[in-house]
Amino acid sequence: MRDALWMLVFCSLLTPVWADLAPGYKPLAFKADPPGSYQLPVIEQAADGEVIDSEGHHLKLHDLMGDKVVLLSFIYSTCSDINGCPLATAVFHKISRRLQKQPDIAKKIRLLTLSFNPLQDTPEAMKRYGQGFKDSGLDWLFLTTASEQQLAPILAHYRQNVQKVYDERGQFTGTFSHLLKVYLIDTHKQVRNIYSVDFLHADTLINDIKTLLSENTAEKTLAKTQPAAAVNFLDYLQQPPLGLPAIPVPANNPITADKIALGRKLFFDRRLSLNNTFSCAMCHIPEQGFSSHEMATAVGIEGRTVRRNSPTIYNVAYLTRLFHDGREYNLEQQVWGPLLAQNEMGNPSIGSLLEKVRHLSDYQGRFQAVFGRDVDMMNLAQAIASYERVLVSADSPFDRWYYGKQENAVSDKVKRGFRLFTTKAQCSQCHRITEQYALFTDNQLHNTGVGYRQSMGDKIPQKVQLAPGVLVDVARDIIEQVAEPKPNDLGLYEITQKPADLWKYRTPSLRNIALTAPYMHDGSLATLKELIQFYNRGGIANKNLDPLLHPLHLSTTEMDDLEAFLNALTGSNVNAIVADALAQPVGN
Amino acid sequence: MRIKISALMRSFVLVIGSFLLSGPASADETCQSPYMAKITGQEDFVYVWTLGMEGVGDEQDKLVTVDVNPKSPHFGKVIDTISVGGRNEAHHSGFTDDRQYLWAGGLDTSKIFIFDVHTDPAHPRLTKVITDFVEKSGGVVGPHTMYALPGTMMITGLSNNKDHGGRTALVEYSNAGDYITTHWIPTDDNLRGAVKTGQYADGYGYDVRVLPRKNAMFTSSFTGWSNYMMDFGKMLGDAEAMKRFGNTVVQWNLHTRQPKKVFDVPGAPLEIRCAWNPNHNYCFTTTALTSKIWLIYEDKHGQWQSKAVADIGNPAKIPLPVDISIQSDDGMLWVNTFMDGKTRAFDISDPFHPKQVFEQKIGAQVNMVSSSWDGKRLYYTSSLLANWDKKGKDNEQYLKLYQWNGQQLKQQFAIDFIKQKLGRAHQMRFGAYSLYAQKPAQPEQSVLAQWLQH
Repeated sequence: MRDALWMLVFCSLLTPVWADLAPGYKPLAFKADPPGSYQLPVIEQAADGEVIDSEGHHLKLHDLMGDKVVLLSFIYSTCSDINGCPLATAVFHKISRRLQKQPDIAKKIRLLTLSFNPLQDTPEAMKRYGQGFKDSGLDWLFLTTASEQQLAPILAHYRQNVQKVYDERGQFTGTFSHLLKVYLIDTHKQVRNIYSVDFLHADTLINDIKTLLSENTAEKTLAKTQPAAAVNFLDYLQQPPLGLPAIPVPANNPITADKIALGRKLFFDRRLSLNNTFSCAMCHIPEQGFSSHEMATAVGIEGRTVRRNSPTIYNVAYLTRLFHDGREYNLEQQVWGPLLAQNEMGNPSIGSLLEKVRHLSDYQGRFQAVFGRDVDMMNLAQAIASYERVLVSADSPFDRWYYGKQENAVSDKVKRGFRLFTTKAQCSQCHRITEQYALFTDNQLHNTGVGYRQSMGDKIPQKVQLAPGVLVDVARDIIEQVAEPKPNDLGLYEITQKPADLWKYRTPSLRNIALTAPYMHDGSLATLKELIQFYNRGGIANKNLDPLLHPLHLSTTEMDDLEAFLNALTGSNVNAIVADALAQPVGN
Repeated sequence: MRIKISALMRSFVLVIGSFLLSGPASADETCQSPYMAKITGQEDFVYVWTLGMEGVGDEQDKLVTVDVNPKSPHFGKVIDTISVGGRNEAHHSGFTDDRQYLWAGGLDTSKIFIFDVHTDPAHPRLTKVITDFVEKSGGVVGPHTMYALPGTMMITGLSNNKDHGGRTALVEYSNAGDYITTHWIPTDDNLRGAVKTGQYADGYGYDVRVLPRKNAMFTSSFTGWSNYMMDFGKMLGDAEAMKRFGNTVVQWNLHTRQPKKVFDVPGAPLEIRCAWNPNHNYCFTTTALTSKIWLIYEDKHGQWQSKAVADIGNPAKIPLPVDISIQSDDGMLWVNTFMDGKTRAFDISDPFHPKQVFEQKIGAQVNMVSSSWDGKRLYYTSSLLANWDKKGKDNEQYLKLYQWNGQQLKQQFAIDFIKQKLGRAHQMRFGAYSLYAQKPAQPEQSVLAQWLQH
């Protein structure tokens, strides 16, 4: 303690010696940015208050704002810290002299120097203080207040923390401690910049003033951006994109434009999770194929572990089994799964979520208007399901070739890939197509061995990417220090409890597959190339491996052709659907 | 009674905030904003922004106030806690430039809790909660660094509400707690006028520091919500997730807030610490994954550059350097490595060739280090992120104070945050009566009188 105090005293005594002059006294150490090349956002409304000018006139601070750009500094006239109040006044003086040569600018500026020592800085004292600085003719007022009581709210509003310094007998020394701040105030009485010692320099202040003065012109020339056109999803009910059948719509949940809009709003609303951090779209991200590229398996609220990869929402209307393990059978039922899962959106109950939505102001009247009744378990799910149901995407290059008979819609490579798909590679046995349409799924569940590997695999060192191109093998025991026990995943078996259903997962559609990496239910395959190689090897051997899987003996060229075909399955309306999604405000 | 020494301390503490920018190598608690009033003597309190922990006490995030003045009868004791509701992934905090308020952020819920620390420094009060940060900022998630600028707070985000990835921004608030504007970090798609000097422009964010005399501001880059909230072990095993870490440091124009240059700093550069000496135009950062010290420096042509200048431990073992702390004389850099629980001291007197001169294990895991202005007291806490902390018995949660004599670290006290039902101890900020011309509530002999008796 003794050392620390000694240092304090020492530093205080030496302060005038070792404190360098502030930048405001010297040429600017860096190149000032040209006026108008940057913006000064509004910080806050400039506060009002009762002040007195040096002629003794009682004024409101706001009377001195609005017609001109204002620089406001707080000082006390006897301040002796060279880098404190005198700096503010010196910079003001420099500005006033500089602007003498720019009368068009000068007439739009007012400088205000307000004392925070009203007991000593009377109007007369401020007049004397200001006399030496008014040689430029700039509009510069030296102000004080009638009392400390009148000053206090002004200081509070501008957050000028001023403390009197007392001597050891408790007597006021006549000096104040304060952080120097100068305020730039626009003609709307808004604070636009606050300067401390480092930026309190005539060059920067004048450029900031000019930036504000140039604003009005700039605002008028700002181009208005057009809102993105929404997709008319109802058209898809009449005419689905080429390559898809009619959208199946449950009789008890007919689709309307208002219902889609309500469902879309709910889909992107983070408030639908317990702690307002998670919407459906946080895992089913529009720009990432309504899935998630950025992790193999998902995380839910508070980062809780989800075992599986986020499946795409595209074309879910056609699925008869939902979730990777096929445990749900329609979208209206499926919706409540993630909403209530403790490791996904974490809502503790159906009722608590409905109550929350019921009281959100932006949902007032929405459910009544769409369903003729208040929000309930049924209609909340129906709304979200309706939006998901119309996210149909096809009319891909493949569709235009195969169903549209446009011979040039795809390359020969793609055509070769398609032939392999339906013959040697045998993909279409599960990823089915018909003469009229192609869902690219059999809506069945299969064991490819991926689940078996996850459950039964060895603990080999983990290859970890530390930076692009920098990979290291990390021992499992290091990873386990920071890893929670990995939850097991048994696939369809968890639903049926039948040993034959171990590690069976739903066949996903292949539409838009180029947009939905990584692949498989656990996201363990990063690229289409890896995916094709996996099937070429015949999956991973295990007791329940689907008999459809066996080594395919595809050549490298054949695998390339297959990949080209898969890349030709991206729907033509993807960009429109994504733009529609991005135009939707996120409920925060 | 106002005593002279109190006035002196107050005066020095406050004035230094204004002239530090042009003065010589004066110090603070060494890592704070240069705009801020500093504690240059003995701190009275450490405020520990603490994560609520499932199964521990009230499970809520809380601000824990610890009395750290050796002359206090409560030295080394928790004297107050304020639970704020929920687990928000409490992480970093920062004072306003006048040091009257402490802003503490939650990386998960994106709430910002503002505590009054000046009315009664021993018992902070929660005065405001910003709940609409994401909405106001235009989708920024994960308020991280709360950095004092004159009259405003510059807040770095870590993520966004569109995809929970790493694309993010700086968000500026007034000291009153009102949103001002958002500055998006440049990406390949939108460099916003910045020059991309290397391979990457990822738009990620983490820390922010400024060198006002050079009109320079720097940001580093970590990762998005999906990763920082994910179980650490799960993430290390997720090849896709591991591709989503920041590889950049961005130089900004401090005055205009415009990005100027994007530097490659691969492997998640985290904390940034700038030198204090006015002739030292450089800052350090460390990369969490690649375990290197990087120097961001101004070359002889006045151009800013980045350079890897040292390894930290064995990068192949992922020691995971986390918090760093620069000494006030720019002579040494403390670097904590989370995985081995060590604190390491690097001699940085030659900033281009840092040399490790000391290391000591602090615990099974260690994250933050905070130094007193004179470098003699070092405080350590344990928690990195709720889901990144070690599991089982290695999940030690503590605040420890050590005395540093230039050669050895000697433990002064340790508080077990689990035993005391507090949670995961994360960031520390110092408080002192002297900042506010106050003294302890209990009558006691004047500090000056005590000092004179020695």
